[in-house]
Amino acid sequence: MDYLANKYLRFRKTPSTACTGCGLGINHKAVLQAVYELGLEVEDVVWGTSIGCAGRQTFGMWKGDGFAGTHGRVYAIARGLRLALPPEKKIILTVGDGDAFGIGLLHLIHAARSNADLTVVVNDNLGYMSTGGQYGWTTPLGTRTDSSPYGMYEQNLVREGMDVLGVLQHAGATFLARHVSMDGSRATGSIKKAIQNKGLSLVHMIYPCPTNFGSRELGTRDALSIYNWIRERSAPLEKAGEDTLWATGVYHDASNSRPEFSEDILKNVEKIRRAAAV
Amino acid sequence: MKRYLETGNFAITEGAILAGCRFFAGYPITPATELAEAMSLRLPQEGGIFIQGEDECAAMHLCIGAALGGYKAMTATSGPGYILYADPYGWAIGCEIPLVVVNSGRVGPVSGITGAPGQGEFYLTRYPTQGGNFETIVLAPNSAQETMYMTVKAFYLAERFRTPVTILADQLITDGFEDISVPENEGEMKEMGFEVYPRRVNNGPVFYPPTDEIDIPPVVLGKNTGALCSDWTPTEEGYDIEEVEAHHKHAYRLIYKVRNHRDLVEDLYEKTHMDDDPDLVVVSFGTPSRVVNTAVKKARAEGLNVGALRLRHIWPFPDELFSTPRKYLCVELNWDGQLVREVQRAAPKDAEVHFTGICGDLPSIADLLETFTKILQGKALERQGWKMEAW
Ligand code: SF4
Repeated sequence: MDYLANKYLRFRKTPSTACTGCGLGINHKAVLQAVYELGLEVEDVVWGTSIGCAGRQTFGMWKGDGFAGTHGRVYAIARGLRLALPPEKKIILTVGDGDAFGIGLLHLIHAARSNADLTVVVNDNLGYMSTGGQYGWTTPLGTRTDSSPYGMYEQNLVREGMDVLGVLQHAGATFLARHVSMDGSRATGSIKKAIQNKGLSLVHMIYPCPTNFGSRELGTRDALSIYNWIRERSAPLEKAGEDTLWATGVYHDASNSRPEFSEDILKNVEKIRRAAAV
Repeated sequence: MKRYLETGNFAITEGAILAGCRFFAGYPITPATELAEAMSLRLPQEGGIFIQGEDECAAMHLCIGAALGGYKAMTATSGPGYILYADPYGWAIGCEIPLVVVNSGRVGPVSGITGAPGQGEFYLTRYPTQGGNFETIVLAPNSAQETMYMTVKAFYLAERFRTPVTILADQLITDGFEDISVPENEGEMKEMGFEVYPRRVNNGPVFYPPTDEIDIPPVVLGKNTGALCSDWTPTEEGYDIEEVEAHHKHAYRLIYKVRNHRDLVEDLYEKTHMDDDPDLVVVSFGTPSRVVNTAVKKARAEGLNVGALRLRHIWPFPDELFSTPRKYLCVELNWDGQLVREVQRAAPKDAEVHFTGICGDLPSIADLLETFTKILQGKALERQGWKMEAW
């Protein structure tokens, strides 16, 4: 991580304040690795985050310009910003699952509908962990959290036929992938494709939270236990079986197939402006 | 100078364009919809962008994003939408993002009557977001022409103070047709008192100084200045910090950058028959002030010693205008009396502060004259069915 940290991160913010054993750092590194492999420099990217563990831990780490939006609204902010920035400037958002799939889902759907050129990396710790460990919209059925003490029994967004990635695909997202933290270079590969797509890309990254999710569901804060628990429930798409909770890989790649939000709007504005000037 | 018979919405649109606004995001809501429509027509002609948000919360966040990218931005709504601004409003105040927000008041609470004017958001414009620890700037026009002037002024103040500025209008102003003059060049703009402040870029590393200074360039993202902004308490460089002392500095700045430079806002009062120390001063803002002015002039002609004070900006509140221990009457477009509470707070203990208000319609001149007479005679304001209520 050192060469990535030296190149891209602020010393003031490293090491992060995430709990020992937290998988968030691995996800963060996968994004930085993708940025590095694409040859992007600090000035090429504006980094946005939001709330919760993902927001607090990734805000201000990027050496360049950055922001953290309020609960779930970062997609609307980023769309406004997208219209103001030059098209070659990348906007990368590292957000949490509550922010993206709960409070922010409406704004995310509209970011997908309009195909705004944003790369959204959803760091999913399987619930609301920065508030102590409550269930979220991707918490697996049957698992225990502080607000699902009898096991999660609410319908959620990772069930067969109700996958949030399906919702986003139908809403118009042009690149969608899912990974777990342990996917390494496969995850980095997907994030690279996401950044390269001129449109709304989202990579859903499940990561282990030993402090809250692990301790409630597995009864231990031992990092290895929760890492193994997630690993056992994930498999690459082509090898996914009936017990697979998280099939990993690229779900939908329609990169560069649809007009991008800001370029499209600016083109139309220019047309109207010219007509008005005549 | 071009003259039009047009609405306040038209005046706001043209004022915003003159002030350099090139981004508008809104969400349809009566009676602010026409302003969004006017913007969708006019902005692209000027190379600007109009976006319809998926809701009001998104609309203001879109504006914030655009402002963070360097645009002068504006949004407009009515009460039920203004309350959805509460979330982004705090972010814009905390991150010190210049922005103009129009609230065209209608009768509430909630959806109330969509097509009738109201002034139920006097306090909501003072505390438009959670948490407190800030000061707000709110301008309150009472005519279409003045709305244009105040829109230009709002952009000017937003830039200098680095904060969202609200224009609290009401449905009568935004939808009413009036004679409007639009300046066509810089000379005419100057003549009309229109002053434009440019958009600048803060190059850091200090983005949030713990001082009351104004004219500090705002944060602009995408210039590789290392700019940071978030919803957390910031350090001077913009890092998030959980320290009360840092927050004290932050709050000091948010409050006193406005309070200590009030003179920039404060040319904005209108006084009618106030020179000879009237026994009764009638206080109002927005459209009721137009009826009040006529009523006060009529009352003078009838020998009543009455004056009128119209607040053209309501926040920060001009306490000093109420330092004389006399009789005050607040006339509002609501039933619960909001401005009156602030006047009562600011006035000396031995002052008499009265209230009359209706919602959804302007008071009649006859009713106002009757009320003036009763107060001057020392009689209590009786309850007249649902029409008038002693406060
Ligand atoms: S609470 Fe969980 S997700 Fe949050 S920082 Fe700690 S280990 Fe990571």
